Amino acid sequence: MDAVINDFVQVLRSHQLRVSPAESIDALLALKQVGLGERGMVRDTLRATLIKNQEDTETFDRLFDLYFSLRPHTEKPAVKLKLPDHDHDHGPPPDRLELGEDAEGEAPEEGHSHDEGESADMRRFFDKEQMRPSQNIHGENEKMRLSMFSQELILNRKPGAMESALQRLTYHMKLRRSRNMFNPGGLVPDTGGEEIPLDVSAVDLEELVDHLHDMEVDEALIEQLEAQAENIIKGLPELIKQMQEREKKLEKSAKDDSEMRHRSLRKILDFSATEQREMEAAIRRIARRIYGAKTRRLRQDRIGRISVPHTLRHNIRYEGVPFDPVLRRKREGRPRVALLCDVSLSTRNLARFWLHMVYQMQSLFSKVRTFVFVAEMAEVTQLFEEHTMNRAVDEIFSGRVLDADVNSDFGKAAEQFRNEHLSTVNHRTTVVILGDGRNNGKYPNAEALEEIAQHARQVIWITPEPKWGWNLGSCDMPLYEQICNRVEVVRTVDQLAGVAEELVKIRA
Amino acid sequence: MFESIEDVRERLGNQSYVSDKRLATVVFLATRLNKPVLVEGPAGVGKTELAKSLAGAAGSELIRLQCYEGLDEAKALYEWEYGKQMLYTQVLREKIGEVLQPTKDLREAVETLRGQEDVFFSENFLVERPILQAIQADESAVLLIDEIDRADEEFEAFLLEFLSDYQVSIPEIGTVKAEHPPVVILTSNRTRELSEALKRRCLHLQLGYPNKEVELEIVRLKAPQISEELSEELVRTIQELRTLDLRKAPSIGETLDWAQSLVVLSAPRLSKELIEETISVIAKYDRDAEKILTHLGVGVPERKDLGQKEPTGERPEEALYEHRRRPGAHTH
Repeated sequence: MDAVINDFVQVLRSHQLRVSPAESIDALLALKQVGLGERGMVRDTLRATLIKNQEDTETFDRLFDLYFSLRPHTEKPAVKLKLPDHDHDHGPPPDRLELGEDAEGEAPEEGHSHDEGESADMRRFFDKEQMRPSQNIHGENEKMRLSMFSQELILNRKPGAMESALQRLTYHMKLRRSRNMFNPGGLVPDTGGEEIPLDVSAVDLEELVDHLHDMEVDEALIEQLEAQAENIIKGLPELIKQMQEREKKLEKSAKDDSEMRHRSLRKILDFSATEQREMEAAIRRIARRIYGAKTRRLRQDRIGRISVPHTLRHNIRYEGVPFDPVLRRKREGRPRVALLCDVSLSTRNLARFWLHMVYQMQSLFSKVRTFVFVAEMAEVTQLFEEHTMNRAVDEIFSGRVLDADVNSDFGKAAEQFRNEHLSTVNHRTTVVILGDGRNNGKYPNAEALEEIAQHARQVIWITPEPKWGWNLGSCDMPLYEQICNRVEVVRTVDQLAGVAEELVKIRA
Repeated sequence: MFESIEDVRERLGNQSYVSDKRLATVVFLATRLNKPVLVEGPAGVGKTELAKSLAGAAGSELIRLQCYEGLDEAKALYEWEYGKQMLYTQVLREKIGEVLQPTKDLREAVETLRGQEDVFFSENFLVERPILQAIQADESAVLLIDEIDRADEEFEAFLLEFLSDYQVSIPEIGTVKAEHPPVVILTSNRTRELSEALKRRCLHLQLGYPNKEVELEIVRLKAPQISEELSEELVRTIQELRTLDLRKAPSIGETLDWAQSLVVLSAPRLSKELIEETISVIAKYDRDAEKILTHLGVGVPERKDLGQKEPTGERPEEALYEHRRRPGAHTH
């Protein structure tokens, strides 16, 4: 039994479930208590002892079913497993699989050595090759990243793999595109060529192909890739045209600009209750990280109220005569937060998400000052405090606060912030910048950011673009990254939660 | 404490706590392995009730520690009784003189006094708080550490020693170890993620909303006056509402509240008007109420004022509503 459970724990671990040795020992002890008589009970026992996160329950259940998917035991228990060779076959696991003990219930002791043989055989199902992401047991990993993609190219030279990887890539891109199509704020006809909010532009793809040339990859693969890339590039103008047409249609159907804005706003604010809850939770977690441990404990201090117990205890050395009063007071290690939020066109499709985040942050932190910028910068703290979410966002995009329709210029905005608001930043301030760092070729003005960073306790930059995209196009992120304490990539609630999770982990 | 898993179920059932096999297994393991149980789940699914019923079923004392922000050892574990210490020092002054009489010089006096030092830091002067109470109980007790997610992280770290070995270290006395380890139930509403270290030490139990049969059973147990027909209708409606995307889905607590208010109104059936009038029992947010009414086809003639000025939904108000509920109502 020990071997089987240990092996199962290994499987869980290889699926990113964190199971400590102490927990697997617990599981064994627990199984000794309940016995192996009932499948459901064994599952409950293992789940209670091994799985401590709600999110992991699903994975556990799936793996449990897969691992212990046994037919009722009918034949002799000592039959060794004869499994077909699965190294080159990613089909479903065979249904003929026996684990003497579990199927039998109260197992005879004799089966120990044979157990090991079995679990060794079991291991073949779960060996490294088979567990590779993107294969059937894993089933997820739908998020393709280019870096991973090229990795896969190099590692996996099978002809089919390349094809499927590319397919997934294009599929992923299509998704992005269509999402933008339906977001009226995302693309404006006259700046369309310059400001496509696509993650991968034609130039990027070409550069990727060049990169691949540099790496030692089969020529054939590169040719294939080039062909694919060509297709994508060819498709681009048409797509842009489509988007522009759509835009025109939208404009026609809603000639009034305010009507149009309201429509886009509804999109922006259309947050489901679940999403909202997740967002709240994620931001709370981030909040804790930024605060330092948020606490309301009293701390000893030079000023504050006299604490009777502490004074008495401290002064026992003077026969209880309170010579030396102990003062305690509430001290909150609560730094201020300054949020700088890019609301330019290139990030407009993320504005829904960001402004929500900003709004939440402002309601959670006590001292938050919020600024929005495109090329100039304006403070909107008041706006968020006085109005509801909808009104505030409406106000920001209406152009009354700042001109939201020019090209974004972080350099200029940083300069303005340095000149006008630097006094609000002190050693307790955390500066959070939400932006993609694309300056459209304008002067990046890293010095201004550097000066802000010197005054602030830390600078966290949250960008929607993954790192591989930074050195493509006119993005100044690499420059800014050196100045910031952290740069995080966030574009969905999930990722925000992920970042929060990671921040917390680092702390722990 | 319990003979078997079935025994757990049966005895919890006697305490009018309906449990499924999973819950019973975990409780059984907890008593057998002497491990704390971490119960997680949304508000109002019977986390706290589990501890109460468990204490009832096992016939042991229930010691409860409600966590909140700023909770510290002095309130959770022990505190020195400074006043008493002071008083004793004063009263015993003469006695101290006597003790020190035979000593020849100061050095010897100090030595003698040091020998007596532990008199003043003995267990006599300790005020027991819940955790120490649970450790020193004569029989193994049930310790409920409620809503651990509300306490600070420091407190969580402080609990670790207690949870793994059922002992606490008091600097002035030493280590106090439990002779009869308590059954510890920790509950969490997941307002924040608990540390891995804490989770590792506990058995984990995820409580969710019950299925229709179980919920019906609970309603019958807790609100026996309600008619068969009505209870079935009610549970069906509630189950349906949970599939909607609500900010706060109605939990068992709300089901029971609803059942009881229907009993009070002596309603024979669940009519549309009745739903509209009693919607505030199950929906805690304006937006939720609207969604529910639309879903049930009742229609929303005007906004029901639930006492919120603006349905921003940004502030975590569930806690407030928890408090507002009648104290007698079951938080099952």
